[in-house]
Amino acid sequence: MTSPVTSPPTDPSSSAVAPSGLHFEDVAVGDGLPTVALPLTVYRLVMAAGSNRDFNSIHHNSEYARSTGAEEMYANTSFLMSSWERAVRDWMGLGGRIRAIRGFRMRSFNYVGETMRVIAEVAATRTEGDLGIVEVAIRCETSAGVTVGPGVVEVVLPRRTGSTSTTTEGSTA
Amino acid sequence: MTSLTSTTETDREADWKAEWQPVVDAVGDDFADGAVTWGGDPVEPGAVRRYLEPLELDCALHTDADVARAHGYSDITMPATGVIAWTIPKAWVPGDTLFDSDARDAQPVKTAINNADMPLGPRTTGFFGTDIEVDLERDVVAGERIGRRGRRLVSCTPKETGVGRGAFMTWESEIVTEAGEVVGRIRIGTYAYVPRPKEQA
Repeated sequence: MTSPVTSPPTDPSSSAVAPSGLHFEDVAVGDGLPTVALPLTVYRLVMAAGSNRDFNSIHHNSEYARSTGAEEMYANTSFLMSSWERAVRDWMGLGGRIRAIRGFRMRSFNYVGETMRVIAEVAATRTEGDLGIVEVAIRCETSAGVTVGPGVVEVVLPRRTGSTSTTTEGSTA
Repeated sequence: MTSLTSTTETDREADWKAEWQPVVDAVGDDFADGAVTWGGDPVEPGAVRRYLEPLELDCALHTDADVARAHGYSDITMPATGVIAWTIPKAWVPGDTLFDSDARDAQPVKTAINNADMPLGPRTTGFFGTDIEVDLERDVVAGERIGRRGRRLVSCTPKETGVGRGAFMTWESEIVTEAGEVVGRIRIGTYAYVPRPKEQA
């Protein structure tokens, strides 16, 4: 059994390190995130299953998927959720951290042969003491419409020096 | 005649839903009795890299220990959404038989990615995730092994859908390290069902 690290990692949003990427003060409600387009090929879905360990045959075997009532093989849960992480990380850079994901509801299957787009925008911002909290409204779409979400990825962004607050303030879309 | 047919259909509807009643009655129970289901391996750089590849996710916090340390972490970090992948148990251990059939679509003898270990309710062969909520207290770093503590059934709703008859269930667990620290919480929604053949769907 491998021993865990002896000292817990620190939270960069509350430490003195110099963050790379967005600061809380750079963000405004309504800001759009760059859309991420992910062609759902058999190759990609097999890579995803192998790496995220969801080997359910519905995600890599068309014949099997059809036997379960689906039209085709379709992207697995971990891959879909991590596509939200990809979009948020692309946008916020290295200094932020994801602290919650909500409303991740898979409404319909994301079939092989589709291009899935991850679309997001800043829905709310607030401060909690020294922390800058941003709620990103996010969803996946294919030619069938919204397939996942809309949900929220809640992130903590570093604040610029001197911007700390002891009260909770916020704005929403 | 029409009313007789309707009554029969109503009875059938009641019959299949009644099979789920033991599960409905178990809402609130911890099916794992507080035990931890550990991920197969600690977080390690090779597995993290492979997780990033199909996503084409370029983030040095997950690949470059120096960059991660410069941002306050003790090593590279696990992608936040990796709380699912890194809490899936080993698929095989020495001594087990995993495959016992050469049928093209034969399934492994056991897998954590279905509803096979469900002790209550009807036998189902169809299974997929429906929704997830995650709260993360902190990031997990390379060298740490995580698991899901507990498996509390939060809800169970029998429902017929386009793919078959089954039930929507929501399960709740804590994400813990081997040191016993709670680093997150996860709620996973699933639909377990008896598939309807495609021609009839």
